Amino acid sequence: MTEEAILQGCLKNEAAAQRELYNRYSPKMLAVCYRFAHNREDAEDMLQEGFIKVFSQMHTFQNKGAFEGWIRRIIVHTCINNLKKNKRFNESLDIVHAHGVQVREETVPSIVQAKQIVECIRVLPIGYRTVLNLYAIEGYSHKEIADMLDIEESTSRSQYTRAKQMLEEILIRKKILTKPREKTEWLMAVR
Amino acid sequence: MKESNFYSDDFEQLIRDKTEQYKMYPSENVWKGVHNSLHTKRKWFIGSMSVLVTGILFMAGRELIAPSVHPIAARKTAPAAGSMGDLSKSSESSGQAGTLHTPLAAYRPVTAALNSRHTAGADNATEELDPGYKGLNITIGNPVLSQSDISEWLSHVVRLPEHAPDLAVVESKSAMAEQWRAAEDGSHPQDIARTSAEVVAGHREVVGETGTKDESDDVRNVLESLSASAASGRVSHPGARVLQNPGSERSSVTGKNADVANERGGASAKADAAAISEADDMQRINWLRDYAMNILPPSSKRGRTFLQLTLSPTLNYRTLNGVDPQMEKFGTTNTGSLNPSPGLGFEVGGSVLYRLTRNLSIKAGLQFNFIRYQIGTYATNNWQTQGMAYLTPYGYFVDSMRQHSTRQANQNNTMPPKTVVTLDNDYYQLSAPIGFELRVLGNEKLQLHVGATVQPSYLLSTTAYMLSEDNTSYDKLPSMFRKWNVSGGVEAFLTYRMGNIRWQIGPEFRYQLLSSYTSKYPNGDQYPITENLKSYGIKFGIVKPLP
Repeated sequence: MTEEAILQGCLKNEAAAQRELYNRYSPKMLAVCYRFAHNREDAEDMLQEGFIKVFSQMHTFQNKGAFEGWIRRIIVHTCINNLKKNKRFNESLDIVHAHGVQVREETVPSIVQAKQIVECIRVLPIGYRTVLNLYAIEGYSHKEIADMLDIEESTSRSQYTRAKQMLEEILIRKKILTKPREKTEWLMAVR
Repeated sequence: MKESNFYSDDFEQLIRDKTEQYKMYPSENVWKGVHNSLHTKRKWFIGSMSVLVTGILFMAGRELIAPSVHPIAARKTAPAAGSMGDLSKSSESSGQAGTLHTPLAAYRPVTAALNSRHTAGADNATEELDPGYKGLNITIGNPVLSQSDISEWLSHVVRLPEHAPDLAVVESKSAMAEQWRAAEDGSHPQDIARTSAEVVAGHREVVGETGTKDESDDVRNVLESLSASAASGRVSHPGARVLQNPGSERSSVTGKNADVANERGGASAKADAAAISEADDMQRINWLRDYAMNILPPSSKRGRTFLQLTLSPTLNYRTLNGVDPQMEKFGTTNTGSLNPSPGLGFEVGGSVLYRLTRNLSIKAGLQFNFIRYQIGTYATNNWQTQGMAYLTPYGYFVDSMRQHSTRQANQNNTMPPKTVVTLDNDYYQLSAPIGFELRVLGNEKLQLHVGATVQPSYLLSTTAYMLSEDNTSYDKLPSMFRKWNVSGGVEAFLTYRMGNIRWQIGPEFRYQLLSSYTSKYPNGDQYPITENLKSYGIKFGIVKPLP
C-alpha cells in the first residue's frame, strides 16, 4: 500500500489505512516517545495521544515535506506537552549541575549499541534529556526549544552543553565510547 | 567550560544515527486506544441501536403482557372500601330522597326491584333508606368509583345543553315510549326494566357504531326522549325505577326480586306505580341525564399507528458471481464447494406501521438478521500471513489466516486427498426495513397482505469465508466484507384478527442487493468475485394498535 493510498484512506477515516499508517510509523515514534518519557507506559500514552492527533489533523498535512517528519513533529510536541504537565520536569529545566546520577551496570543493557545509547540518554535528568533530544536528535534550534519549553534560549544552550557532557561521561563509564583522547578510535569503533 | 570533548557535529551525528536505528513496538492497547478515539461513531451507532431495540422490546413486551387501559377503568378495578362506607353513610344520613341523586350515589349500579312491601323477605337495606325510597331495593353492585371519576368521565363526553334542542327522535326513543305505554296498559313491570336497559344498551350500540360525530346527537335524542317522557308522567311507572347502569355487567336485577316481580303481576305493579312519587322518577331521569350516558364506554377510535413484531426462520443461500468458469465446473462436479448448502437463520425485529389508507400502510423499524450458509471444502494446514486484515472490535489487524482448499487433490494427484470440512459462514446484521404493506383482499377478520421493504443493513460481525481470487481456497478476511449494505424484501402474509391483535403468517424473500465483499483489497487491487445473499423465510408477526 503506497503512502499516498494510506494518506487518502486516512483522510476518509478508513480504519484499515489508519492501521497501516500506525503499523508503519509507530515503532519509530514509540522510540521517540521513549526517549522523552519516564518509562515505557508513559511513552505509550504519549504515542497514543500523538497518533490520535496525527489522524485527526491529517487534513492539515499539505505534502510540503516528508510525511514521517510531519508525524514526528506532532509526536514530539505531544511529548513535550505531556512533560510540561509534570512539575518535576519544569523544575529540572532549572538544574545547573546534575549530581548523583548513578550509572549502574544494569542500567544500560549491552544488547545493541543503539539501545545502549538510548538507555544512556534516558539516564540523564529529564531537563537535560529533553533538550538533548530536541537539539541533537530532533534537530530543533535552541530558539525553537526555548519557545517549546518556555525557557530562555541561553538556558537551552547551557542545558544542552551539560547534557552532552554528562552523556559523554556516562558513555565512557559504560565503555560505549573511549576517553576524549581516544575519540578518533571510538568514533571508528562505533561506526 | 569546554562545550564538548568531541567535535559537536560528530557527536550529534552519532547520537542521531544510533537513536534513529532504535525501534520499539507498542502494545496492542495503544492501537485500541487510538482506534476507539477515532471511531466513536460506531460506538454511538451500536449504543443508540441498542437503546432503540431495548425500547421497542420493552414497549412491545409491556403492551403484550399488560395492555394499556383507560385510567378510569384501571381505577375501577382498584379496591375502594372507603366508597362503600361513604355510600352507607350517605344512605343512612340522608333524610330526603334527593340525597340519592348526589353524584356519589348516582353513579353506582342501582337495581330497583319491587318494594319490600310486596316481597316476603325484604332486605334490611331497604329499611335503612329514607322513606322516599322505601319502594326501592337498591343493590350496590360495585361501588368503587369516586366523585372525581365521575367528573373525569364527564369530561370525556359531550356537554349536554341546557335545553334539549328540537331534534329528530331516534328509534330508541320510540321504542322506549312504546314500552312505557304498554306498561301503563298493564304490562309486566320487568318489561319496563328491560326496556330501560335496552334503551341504554341500544344507545351504546348506536354511539359505538356511528362514532364521535353522531354521538352528541344521539345523546341528545335519548335524553330528550327521557325528558319528554318525564314531562308526560310516563316515567312515574315503577318500571322506570329499574335503572340500568351503562356498566350493565355490574348491575342486575336480583333473581329473587325478579321472581317476585313475575309473581305479582300487573295489578301490583300499578299499585306500586301509584306509590312512587314523581320526584323519584325525575330523580332517575336526572341521573340518566347527568351520568348514565356519560359512562358509556368511549367509542372506539381506530388508530393509525400499529406496533408490529416479527420473527422469521429463514433458509439462506448465496449467489456467487465472477468465479472462473473452469473452477465453477470443477467445483460443481468434484467439490461442491461453490454450491453451499443452505443454513438456517432467523430475522427478528419490530416495526411501527402507519395506516395511510384502509388498505395501505407504511412501516419502518429495526431488525436483527442472522444469516448462515455452509460450504463443504477441504482442510489444509496453511497458515499464512499475507498482509491482510482481520476485523476486530478495535479495527483491522494483520494476522495469520487459515485457508481451506476448494480442491480435494492437486492436479496430478501427487498429494493425498484432503479431509472434507464444512465451514459455517455466519453473518450478523442489523437492518432498518422501510416499506409498505398492502391489503389485497379479505374482510375485517381475515386478510391477505403483500408487502415490500428496503433494508439498509449494518454488518455487526461475520465469520464468513471468501473465495480467493484464483478460486483455489477459502480465506477468512473479515476486512473485505462490506459493513453497510442494502437488501430488499418482499412478503405475502395472511392476517387474522383476534380482538385488538392481528396475527400474521406468510412467506418472505430477502435479497442482498450489494455484494457481501468490497470490490477492492486494502492495497487497492481489484477483487472480482461478488456474493449476494438471499433468504427464504416464514414470517410470524403480531400487530397491535398503539395507544
